[in-house]
Amino acid sequence: MKKLTMALAAMVLATLPAAAQMQLNGAGATFPYVIYSKWFDVYNKKTGVQFNYQSIGSGGGIKQVIEGTVDFGASDGPMTDAQMNEVKQKQGTEIMHIPTVMGGVVATYNLPEAGQHLKLDADALAGIYLGEITTWNDPRITNQNKDLSLPNKPIIAVHRSDGSGTSFIFTDYLSKVSKTWSGKVGKGTSVNWPLGLGGKGNEGVSGMVKQTEGAIGYVEQAYAVKNNLPYASLKNKAGFYVEPSLESVTEAAQSEARQMPADMRVSITNAAGKKAYPICGFTWLLIYKHPKDKVKGKAIQQFLHWAMKDGEAYAADLMYAPLPKEVVKLNEKLINSIAVK
Amino acid sequence: MKPTIRFRYRKFKSVLLYALCGLSALLAVVPLVLIFYHTLSLGLSAINLDFFIELPKPVGETGGGLANAIVGTLILVGLGSLVSLPVGLMAGMYLSEHGNNPFGATVRFLTDVLNGVPSIVTGVVAYTLVVIPMKHFSAYAGGVALGILMIPTITRTTEEMLRIVPQSLREAALALGIPRWKTTFRIVLTTASGGVITGILLAVARAAGETAPLLFTALNNRFWQTDLSQPMASLTVFIYNYGVSPFSDWIAQAWAGALVLMTMILVLSMAVRIATRSRFGRGT
Repeated sequence: MKKLTMALAAMVLATLPAAAQMQLNGAGATFPYVIYSKWFDVYNKKTGVQFNYQSIGSGGGIKQVIEGTVDFGASDGPMTDAQMNEVKQKQGTEIMHIPTVMGGVVATYNLPEAGQHLKLDADALAGIYLGEITTWNDPRITNQNKDLSLPNKPIIAVHRSDGSGTSFIFTDYLSKVSKTWSGKVGKGTSVNWPLGLGGKGNEGVSGMVKQTEGAIGYVEQAYAVKNNLPYASLKNKAGFYVEPSLESVTEAAQSEARQMPADMRVSITNAAGKKAYPICGFTWLLIYKHPKDKVKGKAIQQFLHWAMKDGEAYAADLMYAPLPKEVVKLNEKLINSIAVK
Repeated sequence: MKPTIRFRYRKFKSVLLYALCGLSALLAVVPLVLIFYHTLSLGLSAINLDFFIELPKPVGETGGGLANAIVGTLILVGLGSLVSLPVGLMAGMYLSEHGNNPFGATVRFLTDVLNGVPSIVTGVVAYTLVVIPMKHFSAYAGGVALGILMIPTITRTTEEMLRIVPQSLREAALALGIPRWKTTFRIVLTTASGGVITGILLAVARAAGETAPLLFTALNNRFWQTDLSQPMASLTVFIYNYGVSPFSDWIAQAWAGALVLMTMILVLSMAVRIATRSRFGRGT
């Protein structure tokens, strides 16, 4: 038996140059680009399989999956039912959403009087972006920041001007916590903002906030940490003020894991956990359930198993929140259901 | 007294305008010098042997290079030339030698329109024509996009250059009994070759520096790929990706990539100039 395995291993090794020619192409979200490039590099060194991932944006990733020009896609926002039907029609297969890592969205601000200690609840954040709260000394802000003396300065709300998964998570949260918001604005990768300034990308928003005293904006957590931006603690559903951290984001997914639908197209904003940070979300790999090329399908399946088992360990160092065990378990079920035979 | 004053006034005007022209010429060169200086000072530090022979490294690991992108750019521009050279040269020859009719005027007009089409549009066109039917991002699609982009430049410069060739030369050739097509190919085209080659170089340089048409066609590739039906790396797309990234070593590599790209174009155009000059005695 051992000899047989050895012989098999030798055969595999002998065909490695041929296997190294196997290249899988994927495209999509920019947010997880860093961890994906790390994963694909480590996995390539380990197995010789080449995953070529290009970050062209979540919208672009979904489009390529629909057209069938890639072997897999990636997105920060789940595909809509209409989009999934389109895939079914054009590619003849269902599409699966596999969550890979998570990220938080933080509210960063430029208010010297508040230092690093601003606290906000859902009501205040929605109020600011709806234009109901216009100055920093509004009672809806000061009532939760009694230790700070906030000035009578106008608030300038900054948002993303480009379509972005970050905006999706942020507006998804506001829609959940504010009826006015869900009725008036709604959620999406780009929405019709009631007011405020737009900046392109995380760097555009943070640049605008940095230059404007009294400004508040939202950026990816990793970006805020890397650039030492101040961010607010947010009051979560359970009523606790929570700082954004990798743990508090993972906690959010963990507290929601029981109610997750089988297809994993789920929003985890405003999670119920006591330590859960309220504005965060998954990023997904988009995988064909019935891949046309079974060899490639098998390679993707093997990679996904590896990512869940070993890949998650790389997340924290690169400022991504790893998936909680409960979600990994749910994922394994999905990954096993890829039709590779 | 009057003429002297008038003379001085005229002299003053002349000097003033001369100075303004000189200043404008200088101002036109300033951006070029600034770009060169900036690229050199920021890119040089990231250039080493690895840059030319290694593959890109993932985030967080220093080192690595853009060898695949350098080769990829050469392949893509080569494919683009393969698409555009025959079409562009022949179209230019037609327009100059036989194009004095409504059809020729229409072609000329449409070529100018094509020249003004934003490069991203050619990318989308190639995406629709090549990528979607093939169900694959590929070097072919990138070559087609770049080719479409190069055609108008080659066509129009070829036409202009052939038109400069004196009519008497054509008549002399025809008078000797040389057929029309041979006259065009061997006499007119050879005489104008310096200018035609300059036009081709312009097109090549433009294609080599394009990012937009490649984004949706050749995509990009982190690995070695010589299969033309697969996504292909290119310097410009790497510069685009790395330049906007938040990582300092990637930004440095983007500058180095820009420097390499500029040097490649410079070396190419100089080499071709020298080659054509020695062969035909003069260049343009």
